[in-house]
Amino acid sequence: MKFILTSGRSIDQGVALEGEKLGRENITACAICEFDRDDFAKLDCMIGTPVKVTTKFGEVIVYSQISEQGPHPGIIFIPMGPWANAVIDPETYGTGMPSFKGTEAEVEVIKGGKILSALELIKGYK
Amino acid sequence: MAKIIKEDVVCPFCGTLCDDIIVIVEDNGIIEVQNACAIGTAKFFSSNASDHRYTEPLIRNNGKLEVVSWEIALNKAAKLLAKAKRPLSYGWSSTECDAQRKAVELMEVCGGVLDNTASVCHGPSLLAIQDVGCPTSTLGEYKNRADLVIFWGSNPVHAHPRHMSRYSDFIRGYFRVDGYLDRKIIVVDPRNTHTAQLADMYIQVNPGEDYELFNAIRAMLRGVELDVNEVAGVPIEQIKELIETLKSCKFGVLFFGLGLSMSKGKHRNVDGGISLIRELNDHTKFLLTPMRGHYNVSGANIVFSWITGYPFSIDFSKDYPRYNPGEFSAVDLLINNDFDVTLIVASDPASNFPKDAVINMLKKPLIIIEPHKTPTSEMANIVLPPAIAGIECEGTAYRMDKVPLRLRKVKNAPEGCKTDVEIVEDLIKKVKKLKGE
Repeated sequence: MKFILTSGRSIDQGVALEGEKLGRENITACAICEFDRDDFAKLDCMIGTPVKVTTKFGEVIVYSQISEQGPHPGIIFIPMGPWANAVIDPETYGTGMPSFKGTEAEVEVIKGGKILSALELIKGYK
Repeated sequence: MAKIIKEDVVCPFCGTLCDDIIVIVEDNGIIEVQNACAIGTAKFFSSNASDHRYTEPLIRNNGKLEVVSWEIALNKAAKLLAKAKRPLSYGWSSTECDAQRKAVELMEVCGGVLDNTASVCHGPSLLAIQDVGCPTSTLGEYKNRADLVIFWGSNPVHAHPRHMSRYSDFIRGYFRVDGYLDRKIIVVDPRNTHTAQLADMYIQVNPGEDYELFNAIRAMLRGVELDVNEVAGVPIEQIKELIETLKSCKFGVLFFGLGLSMSKGKHRNVDGGISLIRELNDHTKFLLTPMRGHYNVSGANIVFSWITGYPFSIDFSKDYPRYNPGEFSAVDLLINNDFDVTLIVASDPASNFPKDAVINMLKKPLIIIEPHKTPTSEMANIVLPPAIAGIECEGTAYRMDKVPLRLRKVKNAPEGCKTDVEIVEDLIKKVKKLKGE
């Protein structure tokens, strides 16, 4: 299924940021993809099932969730962090600011996919 | 040991800079935080001793971070910076103004590039403000006077959790004695955010189409009839209702967030917003303020501007400061591989930068001044542990409305930690010596 990916702050992301950034809290706060309720029904999976989000710029596996901040049909939200940044458009168009919001993304359900921790994800870049 | 109660503490988390925090300290550990939001509370508690806190300098040796003395760590860091042809220093928004002042000196001495987190935050807003100005005021004025508050591309319930209760919605003001009953809240956002769910009017704009909506509003405000049914996903009837609401308020304020500066159009979106606010002043009083993220990103912009003339993305390679976001901004510099060493201060770009930038950053030596274990610090070559500004040392920080507030010290830093200023001053001395200055 195709979506527009947006990222941004969430209060859980903020708490994890100031707490234990390498810990589990950061994964449950940021390694998630929030779907509109009706869009999620079309995925035909349980809440928390891993999904693979693929864009022109990369792919990442995160937990699926139904958004409390909906309806927002056609839009998926991954809180700011290394998981969102693995797939967003890095182009700054001469402003210095990458396009953190508004990247076209494809989502597929990955039953049993592994969600990497922040450090595992970053270590993979080395 | 007796409990020490510290009152009127300033929270060093977000640009709201709440200054009514009560912190209770016992045996140099924070045991209770009152009045702060969940994130601010987490930040105060994060200063307590834990496995996630660095207390000694570290240097990577055979792939592992090993404890060394300050002298060895600083010498090695200074050598890397002095030898570098194009060092990049990034971060600086979660520390106090004196450290930011020294940052400019250090990068000037190194002939490097200096950038702060505004470049991935409200950098585009600064570009727009440089183009078209910024009719603005302090948060106190808004609290006392504003009867219409717009949050555009901003979700304060999550990002600035006490903003609405201290300044913009629930608080009673001098002319707004009934608090939220005396104010109207409008939220413009592609998602029906928790802030939108509290609003009197919610406008669901298509993602990346804010520029179109601003211009449609501006045109209709001037009396132009648009022959379409909707603009940016918003029905014309709702835009008409919005315009009537904007024109009929006594004092309006636009708080805008990264929904504008990070979406397609970037600084042009903010430009559209500022132009709309300017034109609304033909009808009523209207002002705006960007919702700044890091608690002292505003201070970083002010201090850098005061010394160099520019708020972020500053290059010192020609011995005088040059400014060019898109070229000297951290993400562009990293993606273009136009650097040879990075010095990160109070930031976690490995988490917050796009993948391509992180891949390049990790290819070259990385020095970090950071109190906590983060993905960036765990990948760094040298880790220098500082006292946390605003909790373990004093300093000045600028609120999102550019009001400076004095940060308070509530507890001592772990033994062996220096302040950000001390670390940067040591680096300046050592780099100068190595360069024979």
